[in-house]
Amino acid sequence: MTVVDLMSEAKMNVELRSKAIEKGRYELYNCFQCMRCTSGCTSMKLLELKPHQIVTMVKLGLIDELITSGIIWTCAMCLKCTERCPQDAAPSDLITVLRNLAFDMEANVPEAYLKVVSTVLEVGLIQEEQKVTSRDFEIYDRKELNLPKISKPGEIFKNNLLILLTPEED
Amino acid sequence: MEIGVYWGCMILTSQYAYEMSLREVLPKFDISIIDIDQVSCCGTPIKNVNQKAAIYLAVRNLALAEKIGIDELLVPCNGCYLSFSEALHYWKKDDILKRELGSLLAEEGLEFNGNIKLWHTVDFLHDKIGVEKIKAAVKKSLNRLKFVTHPGCHILRPSTIVNVDDPEKPRKLDNLLKALGAESIDYPEKLDCCGGGLLLSHSESALTIAGLKLKAIKSLNVDGLVVSCPSCKIMLGAKQEAVGAIVGEKFGIPVLYYTQLLGLALGIEEEKLGLHLNQSPVEKIIEKLT
Repeated sequence: MTVVDLMSEAKMNVELRSKAIEKGRYELYNCFQCMRCTSGCTSMKLLELKPHQIVTMVKLGLIDELITSGIIWTCAMCLKCTERCPQDAAPSDLITVLRNLAFDMEANVPEAYLKVVSTVLEVGLIQEEQKVTSRDFEIYDRKELNLPKISKPGEIFKNNLLILLTPEED
Repeated sequence: MEIGVYWGCMILTSQYAYEMSLREVLPKFDISIIDIDQVSCCGTPIKNVNQKAAIYLAVRNLALAEKIGIDELLVPCNGCYLSFSEALHYWKKDDILKRELGSLLAEEGLEFNGNIKLWHTVDFLHDKIGVEKIKAAVKKSLNRLKFVTHPGCHILRPSTIVNVDDPEKPRKLDNLLKALGAESIDYPEKLDCCGGGLLLSHSESALTIAGLKLKAIKSLNVDGLVVSCPSCKIMLGAKQEAVGAIVGEKFGIPVLYYTQLLGLALGIEEEKLGLHLNQSPVEKIIEKLT
């Protein structure tokens, strides 16, 4: 997966860049491209995620390219980059900000993420209580395992979450 | 003492063995559990689409705990633990966020003061109960067993937010294992991620990442792998066969929650610890113990 064709004439989007930085952190300007983030990145080998490139692209204002490319969804959120960054640029935090922008702009968010959001809105949890199968193929639910009943959140919670998830008008 | 527990979605809806084993082992140290009603998702999956909404979920759950008088909260899932720790961090330094989310909380008659102490299972057992006390409580030593540990990313990083001893060389889970008489060996892949964070967007890569870790562990000839996070447990344990099919290997590595091993060492029956629910071949461990 490539982020952007470097021979293209991608233009900086100053407005989106300020939005990304406002939501994130200014420390990304301290990045001096030491690539510690990329050298330890969980997703680098298999999915070619290069966090140092993402930091530079945000600096250059190439936000449209980032949020439509799909590369921001290749991060496993192991947070090694943020831990190891000597300049506090926190690439994983930046990726979260870009994911949030992609959601607000309805740009290429993987279906499975949207599904989790709708389940949390509906159920309050990421999924309904599951029945589980033991190694000798017996099926159990919480009650059969003597675990207490799950108590779920109510309507006010769901309404508030929905309000927060609705993108703000500019 | 009493401690509040926020279990989180994965434990409440499918990873029952973690809940069962914690409910069994804590009373052995004179700790009783307080459950919290009406809790929701911790915010972790929501953070990907809206960070503020994720913080709302986190502080709402924490406010529910505060409301019933909980001042120390055990959060056994790594993901939930980081979500709450981060939310607490932002809440303390952002007054605008406090006002905005505070008014949403007020609609449910909730108020969040931010005076809650968060504990992950590993930190709670290691720092609060203490290794010596655990050692003294062991009835059945696990001294014939050799393990590797996988603490899981979100209790290690970012070290500015979580309660880790050393983010590049974490020892707590290993110390806890040694307290049971077992051996814990170091391996270069210890800090490698389980891949769980990629399951939603790139499932095959997620399984491959788990596979690389399991391959490394297999070559060590240990009796099993010890985890403390439900997501890691699913990736490295429940999905072990699927992972094996992708990377072309038959693993057969027993994967257990530390609390299950602790329960065994305290002499608690296997069934009460949910050991029949582990999908990996944990009977190998039990056979070695008898």
